Amino acid sequence: MVFLSAADLASKIRGKQVSPVEVVKAYLDRINMVDVKLNAYITVLAEQALAAARVAETDITSGVNKGVLHGVPVGVKDQIHTKGILTSSASRIRADFVPDADATVVSGLKRSGAIILGKLNMTEFAMGDPITSAFGVTGNPWDPSRDPGTSSTGSGAATASFMCASSLGEDTGGSVRGPAANCGLVGIRPSWGRVSRYGVDGASWSLDTIGPISRTVKDCALMLGAIAGYDKKDQYTKDIPVPDYHSDLTGDVAGLKVGLIKEFLDTDVMGVTQAVRQSVLDATQLLASLGAEVEEVSLPLAPVAGVASRVISAVERSSLHPEWLRNRPDDLHRNTRVAFIAGELVPSQVYYKAQKLRTLVRRQVLEALGRFDVLAMPVASEPATTMDLRPGIRSKQEAFNALTEASYRGLFSMVSGPALSICCGFSVEGDRKLPVALQIAGRPFDETTVLNVAYAYEQNTNWHLERPPL
Amino acid sequence: MPELNDDEIRALARAVDLDIQDSDMEDVKHSLNAMLEAMDKVNLKGINSVEPLPIIRAGE
Repeated sequence: MVFLSAADLASKIRGKQVSPVEVVKAYLDRINMVDVKLNAYITVLAEQALAAARVAETDITSGVNKGVLHGVPVGVKDQIHTKGILTSSASRIRADFVPDADATVVSGLKRSGAIILGKLNMTEFAMGDPITSAFGVTGNPWDPSRDPGTSSTGSGAATASFMCASSLGEDTGGSVRGPAANCGLVGIRPSWGRVSRYGVDGASWSLDTIGPISRTVKDCALMLGAIAGYDKKDQYTKDIPVPDYHSDLTGDVAGLKVGLIKEFLDTDVMGVTQAVRQSVLDATQLLASLGAEVEEVSLPLAPVAGVASRVISAVERSSLHPEWLRNRPDDLHRNTRVAFIAGELVPSQVYYKAQKLRTLVRRQVLEALGRFDVLAMPVASEPATTMDLRPGIRSKQEAFNALTEASYRGLFSMVSGPALSICCGFSVEGDRKLPVALQIAGRPFDETTVLNVAYAYEQNTNWHLERPPL
Repeated sequence: MPELNDDEIRALARAVDLDIQDSDMEDVKHSLNAMLEAMDKVNLKGINSVEPLPIIRAGE
């Protein structure tokens, strides 16, 4: 039962073929069996989830349909507020924080009938380092010694290992797309302003977005539909209609123009591995065989998106709670503390220059999106790497390399449009198969096209049917 | 551009009332200098006249 997609599960629950109580019990059994290896959950809401499942069962039996996710158990990243439930942001500093209200996205999930199964591990305060959680490191289901993708580590690991039907992550510089890529899933960073951030502990105000991490494109569309929309509590959400993402999936890409960003396929410039490069080229070739018009496009500013986005997020992040650095420095993981300090010391003119760069990068990308319906590139230069569990930054070069790598995901964080990660193959590393991912980005607020291109690809491949060796 | 050394970084930190533990100094130095150097390398003609735009505009 846990291996069903969220869409199939919802359909079977709706058709009374499966009981929500049985489903929740199956997921709780799965968590008991698997999470000891991965550490994806901070809090498992066994009693609450079972109680919600009993209510769902009664509702469904009496013909009440609450929504598209009725009775489907999902996980939520631990920086997203859940009423009466620990919301720690994976930090000792927030180890006692219990919100008195749900985040708008959690309300959206509940309104759609979803059952909150638990709160998922992450990196401390959504920093981009996989080892910083105060609740221990999360492993990648494809190889527990490897990075599950940051910062929504638990969202990726739990979804890929069938410990929830789908999950929510938060993407500042790639924290939905990275875990989706490393764990072989589908994750979409929605347009900035498409999904409310109310009730989500922020990382970087101008970059943060909340998005689903799912096993299939359909699941991703259902989840996004449940959380998207205007919210008067978030002044930046846009008051425009939310399409029916799920019903709009046609799989038809004939005549669609796909721009393949050539800078990220250059092994010398951006360090992309041959395996990743080839998988992305094969993926776009498949889209071409389905009728899409694929053409290379150059975005000369794309390689500097990483440093600009990292400077912006470092400064904005460190400005959120300066008192922690001064009053409780030892309660922060060393790597988090260092990142906060560095963010505070960035000169204002450098931050300002990064914002100017953002304007130029966005202009260049939007210009390309005037000619192409979507842009395509890898999500990362390489598959999930082995985690270095020692804290610290070994050299300036190591820090520099991280800035370069950040361009893969930071580019579309800077643009503010939607960007999706989908598995496009596997790379064999030793005795392990590791997922490789294609990134598809679209015009602001055109999540429909992005999801549809991914759906067309998924319908003609079998990568999403692979299971990690747990 | 010259790298910031320990004393310069401590001076910057003092200006914002921040203590840096000795054990953190090397990491802060690597992280900060990497960001500053990478940004310094970006020399685009006309960038000074660009208006920064952190968020997306309505209708964009």
